[in-house]
Amino acid sequence: MNKIYNSRGRAAFFATGLFLAFTVFSCSKTVDEPTASINNPSTLDENAGTWKPYILASSSEVPVDEPKAATSAEYIAEIAKLKETMAGVTPQQRDQINYWGAGAAYRWNEIARELAARYNSPPAVNAEGKYPVPDAANPLADPKFPFANPPYTARALAYLSVAQYDALVSAWNYKFKYNRKAPSKIDASIKAILPVSDLPSYPSEDAVVAAASYTILKAMFPGEIPFLDAKLAEHKNSRLLAGMNVESDIVAGSALGNAVGAKVMARAKTDGMGAANNQAKTADMIANALKIGISQPWKSQEFPARPPMLPTYGSVLTWNFNTATVATLRPIAPPAIGSPEYEENMNELLSIAKSQTREQARIANFWSDGVGSYTPPGHWHRKAATLAHDNNFSEVRTARTFALVGTAMQDAGICCWDAKYYYYYPRPNQMSSKVKTSVGLPNFPSYTSGHSMFSGAAAEVLAHIFPSEKANVDAMAVEASVSRIYGLIHYRFDCEQGLATGHKVGNYAVQRAMTDGAEK
Amino acid sequence: MFVLAMISFTGAYAQMPNDAVYMSKNTACLALSYTHSSWDKYWENTLKRENLNIGTQTTQVGMAMLAVGVTKNLNVIVSLPYIWTQASAGNMKWSKGFQDVGGWVKYRFYNKAGLSLNAVVGASIPSSNYVPDFMPLSIGLQCKTATGRLVARYRHKTGIYATAYGSYILRSKITIDRDSYLMGETLYNTNRVSVPNAFDYSARVGFTNKAIQTEVYAERNECVNGDYIRRNGMPFPTNNMKSTTVGWYGKFQPKNIGFNARVAYVTRGENVGQAMTYSAGLLYQFRYLKSGK
Repeated sequence: MNKIYNSRGRAAFFATGLFLAFTVFSCSKTVDEPTASINNPSTLDENAGTWKPYILASSSEVPVDEPKAATSAEYIAEIAKLKETMAGVTPQQRDQINYWGAGAAYRWNEIARELAARYNSPPAVNAEGKYPVPDAANPLADPKFPFANPPYTARALAYLSVAQYDALVSAWNYKFKYNRKAPSKIDASIKAILPVSDLPSYPSEDAVVAAASYTILKAMFPGEIPFLDAKLAEHKNSRLLAGMNVESDIVAGSALGNAVGAKVMARAKTDGMGAANNQAKTADMIANALKIGISQPWKSQEFPARPPMLPTYGSVLTWNFNTATVATLRPIAPPAIGSPEYEENMNELLSIAKSQTREQARIANFWSDGVGSYTPPGHWHRKAATLAHDNNFSEVRTARTFALVGTAMQDAGICCWDAKYYYYYPRPNQMSSKVKTSVGLPNFPSYTSGHSMFSGAAAEVLAHIFPSEKANVDAMAVEASVSRIYGLIHYRFDCEQGLATGHKVGNYAVQRAMTDGAEK
Repeated sequence: MFVLAMISFTGAYAQMPNDAVYMSKNTACLALSYTHSSWDKYWENTLKRENLNIGTQTTQVGMAMLAVGVTKNLNVIVSLPYIWTQASAGNMKWSKGFQDVGGWVKYRFYNKAGLSLNAVVGASIPSSNYVPDFMPLSIGLQCKTATGRLVARYRHKTGIYATAYGSYILRSKITIDRDSYLMGETLYNTNRVSVPNAFDYSARVGFTNKAIQTEVYAERNECVNGDYIRRNGMPFPTNNMKSTTVGWYGKFQPKNIGFNARVAYVTRGENVGQAMTYSAGLLYQFRYLKSGK
């Protein structure tokens, strides 16, 4: 062989290798997330001031003063100040304007989901072999408060959504009562950065949502007050920078949002959540389960055994039906352990444990929504947010969607926890060590599946609000439900009963939706 | 196993991508190795802890590797590991499967008076669609990687030698089955995950002659950035994994057939398991071109 040729070939080969190695993939470490476009509502929903609120007796329960007239010296001064503010908009501020322009309730729902994920960490065992209970008075200690598990997150998102909705229904009442036009409609020299509709600008719907959301979230996530302070200020400021509101629109909106938020939080303080972790009740629950024929009640599979998650959450106050209804929604008893039906369900799991397909693993992972995630209620709130945004819903209709879905999901969680601790049914993993999970084993009884109940309820409501999406959301709920079989933590009967009951629970919210005044 | 994701390219091989030993022209070496790596303590960020719901995590690797002497100064190496993971306690599902195909080109560009300088480039791509984020029981991270490495070795005529190397490892973004995850304190609403790049460096001293090689080494693996394991949480591909490993490597190959072995222990780390690793390999060297002149 020609030696010179050979050595050239070698060098070329080497250089090619280097080139390939460093160019086959992009060196950028930036991950692109789906971006939400600026919301441009297709309707004003002028009569939303007549929609039925959840907590407020009426949309005029919290008074809002009449604004100064557009011809007043005060207003003219505000407009002048607004122009000054707008003159100095930086590129970074423009990004903030566009960010919040995707929708106020949309963004605060997203923020809440992020907080839920950050706080979704089960306490670590301490040196004494105990699991310390998070302390609301010391939220950043170890363990952090809250442990934003699915029942906690379902509740936090329900309150957030209800506060946003009630505050916006009030805001709409005053908007159309006082009819103050948007600054750019009063002074044509103001070129607003976001789309301007005929929606009256007083009180500011963004300030209303920001203040109401802030009030709920600082109570639900007390360790995040500095983070929430910054979001609140940025949101309100973005509306001035964008030329969408004058200062008095924002001030009135903040006052209204704060007042409604406080009224909604008053319910939260007395809804029974403070007593939802009553571990003293579990001995009676286990005794009851044995009495009704559950021969091997649930036991924690963790080392050391961890007390079960929120055993008395089933007694927390419901939204769309009264507390007495919870027991009537309790599903039929699960199959007796050892019965043919039980064995059949167990065999399905043993077979998946042996030969889980990649597609089954994918479905289980997609819906896992476990530790460090925004939980199944967060997953469905995200779906609701996407649908409301894609359908160009107004601010108030978006909040209504969240409130209907959010309250339905907390109701589903309450009913599910009631059933879980009534039957105290063992997880398949307790019954056979051959069943190991590909998603993480929840530390509470099996029957029924929480994912299935949350998903059934959410799909029921979303299918009502977005009829063309019915097939899609129903299929999603079925997939979320069976994902727990594929992930090897639930029997099929847990999932089927849970999904059916979830749909029933969701229907209560649908009944409300048909009579709340928004579908006239 | 968290360590494994970073060191999967350093099994117990005849010609390793991290040494300065070459197959001569027209010869090749097939190595079949078995590796057993386990830990019962890990670093959750900087906190060293046990986890009674994992117990002892064990990773076993069966690997086939072929090193080919293209010329006496240019070797090509390819490898494919099959990996099993398990945990002695808890309820997490074990995993197994073929991990990432690796390919390396090793080029000696300077060789005088016992001193050799070698450039190594390597790349790896996942060979199967395994789940990357069920850590610590996943078998790998699903990254495509590209590595650039410089290896310097001085060998005294007595057979005593010293080797040092350093490398930079580019790691691609990965796609996970979920469409949201936390990185640091930020929730990402996407299924694309940015895995940090990494680097390593190592110093080794040993003795070698025609039949025997024995060396002790220390190496350091680090990500260039990344987040940490959350309190009481599980590791994630975005974690800033760091480890310091000490080990011994030996090879006995009097003729075509040979054996090698390795023992390694992680002495310090962050976001990795404190693994103890044993490897053993069977080597078979052969001429693949009889008429090569």
